[in-house]
Amino acid sequence: MMLRITLFGALRDADARGFIELDVPDHSTIAQVREAVQRYVREHALTISPNLIQRSAFASDEEVLHNHRQIPENGMLAILPPVSGG
Amino acid sequence: MTDIHTAVVDIAHAPLDVAGALDFVSDPRFGGVATFIGRVRQHNLGRVVTGVSYDLFEPLALRTFQAIGERARQEVGGPMKLYIAHAKGHLRIGDLAVVIAAATPHRDEAFRTCRLAIEAVKHEAPIWKQEHYVDGDSAWSEGCSLCEEHRDAELAAAKQGGNKHGHGH
Repeated sequence: MMLRITLFGALRDADARGFIELDVPDHSTIAQVREAVQRYVREHALTISPNLIQRSAFASDEEVLHNHRQIPENGMLAILPPVSGG
Repeated sequence: MTDIHTAVVDIAHAPLDVAGALDFVSDPRFGGVATFIGRVRQHNLGRVVTGVSYDLFEPLALRTFQAIGERARQEVGGPMKLYIAHAKGHLRIGDLAVVIAAATPHRDEAFRTCRLAIEAVKHEAPIWKQEHYVDGDSAWSEGCSLCEEHRDAELAAAKQGGNKHGHGH
């Protein structure tokens, strides 16, 4: 399925549109999506450090989704680099 | 529930409202009111800052603020009111970035609630700060990972180092 991943913070540099789209198998886990994003940045966004992807979380509009969780059925995710509010 | 107010405020439309925060938490049951106001400062890590930009994942940020409020209510174990608002967009030096107000019957719970809320906002809410410097450069601030494996490792490292937070912010 086609997954749209919204970018925030330093990860916005990965694509000026503010999101990336990846074709992943249905029912992929977040851990598998993380690997797919790592491959994507190696090929398309060399300024993004692989370590930043490792330290980033994935989330739906409702909650942070940890590595064992499956991707949402609506195909919408956000990738959240380390946070620095306040 | 009407005892927790959460907001993300686009600074292009209006500044954060301290008076509104105090009005919200005012209640005849409460004799203690604690506030925290975060403002944009001029220097960071030896560099002259001219402004900051805040990026937010707004729906999840608002849910996180609400969850922080509910956690604070459980910690207090009694009546309280809590106001949490964070700015988004481009802020200048001195602009308000975050406003927290907590009201409880007595001062101890008010201070504890306010402290819990600001620490949780800084470490858990999906918000990112980009600093702009006088030389024209910009940089995203170092932050706290929300990824569970890294979060656990960072907390363990912080405990080993004897630093409760383990962060420079």
